[in-house]
Amino acid sequence: MVRACAVRQGHSIAERRRLCEDRLRSLNRLGKPVTESFYIEGRRLLDATMRLGGTVGLAAMRPASGAISAGLRLERAARGAAGRRLNDAALSALDAALVSPVAEEAVDRAMASGLARHVVDRLLADGIIEHTVGRLLDGPELERVVGTVLQSPAVDRLLGQTIESRLADQAVARLLDSEELWLLVGEIAESPAVTEAITQQGFGFADEVAGGMRARSRNADAWLERTARRALRRPQR
Amino acid sequence: MSQAARRPGESPLSRHGARPAAVRVHETGRESLPELRYEGLVTRGIAFAIDAAVIDLVAIVVAGGVALALSVLSVPKDSLDMVLFATGGALFLAWSLGYFVTFWSTTGQTPGSRLMRIRVCGADDGGVLRPRRAAFRFACLILAAIPLLAGFLPILCDERRRGLHDMLAGTVVVEAPGPG
Repeated sequence: MVRACAVRQGHSIAERRRLCEDRLRSLNRLGKPVTESFYIEGRRLLDATMRLGGTVGLAAMRPASGAISAGLRLERAARGAAGRRLNDAALSALDAALVSPVAEEAVDRAMASGLARHVVDRLLADGIIEHTVGRLLDGPELERVVGTVLQSPAVDRLLGQTIESRLADQAVARLLDSEELWLLVGEIAESPAVTEAITQQGFGFADEVAGGMRARSRNADAWLERTARRALRRPQR
Repeated sequence: MSQAARRPGESPLSRHGARPAAVRVHETGRESLPELRYEGLVTRGIAFAIDAAVIDLVAIVVAGGVALALSVLSVPKDSLDMVLFATGGALFLAWSLGYFVTFWSTTGQTPGSRLMRIRVCGADDGGVLRPRRAAFRFACLILAAIPLLAGFLPILCDERRRGLHDMLAGTVVVEAPGPG
């Protein structure tokens, strides 16, 4: 016990002994049993011993763990290199297959065999087409595609050619000849909304005319009064 | 409205530039009218012309109908000419009187006045005329027109743009607010 205290605190042997005896005496004065203090000191000694053992064990295992880590890194590098080589080789093979006449032949045979029709039937039967269309309509992709198409000069050219073609004139002529169009025009013209709009426009026009007339008449009033007051030599207002 | 009751230095032309304006806070004893814009001779003349057109149009249609009806009846025309003229004149006068009295005493605006956005009101309180007062104003209107329309000339000189009939009936013609 005395030696343990001395080792821990770095005093000389005699000094340590005296300190330990003083401590024992103080413990006895406080009424604590001496066996409890010995138990505490032993526990601390055991903890220190275990920490020392762990540190020594770790130092001994360090070379072995380094070797294991290096092995694992080497294995990952080898696997990545092999995967890249494999991907490159597969893509090269695919490119070669696509440019070769064999691919066209394969596609022709597949189409002739009814495989494409079967695939389409399956897509329709399973509802995949509906799902795809719904997804397309809900998502922003369709708007983006439409916007791109509408902004392209090719669409401008196409529309110009369509309008200038004889087809547009024929369509308009046939539309004007159709009786249904004039029935529709009559229905629209007699609708309450259109009638009300025309009435409002008429009132607005009449009010505009009346407003112009009012403004002119008030200007005329002012001019007439100025003239009359000047003639009568009365002060202007 | 005396000159002393008017605020000094309140010239419409000075306030509104070249715009016509007889705009005054008009105080008459205990009451004071809100700021009013009195209307001039041209505006009132146009409104009256519109009213006259309406009155004459209705009178012509009615007279035409009566003439058509009489043409198919075997009425001795020579003996009834004077009676028809007198009756027609009285009816025309009654129709004109009823037209103006009705509009002046209900809204203060005849159709012509409404188009020109003016209205007739009492000079003292700014309210709508009573029927008797409206009828008196109509009589004064005829009176003002008799001396070659000279009764309307005071409109050019009066501070509140009143004609003879306005002065006699105690009325003024002011700008009316628009429908909005």
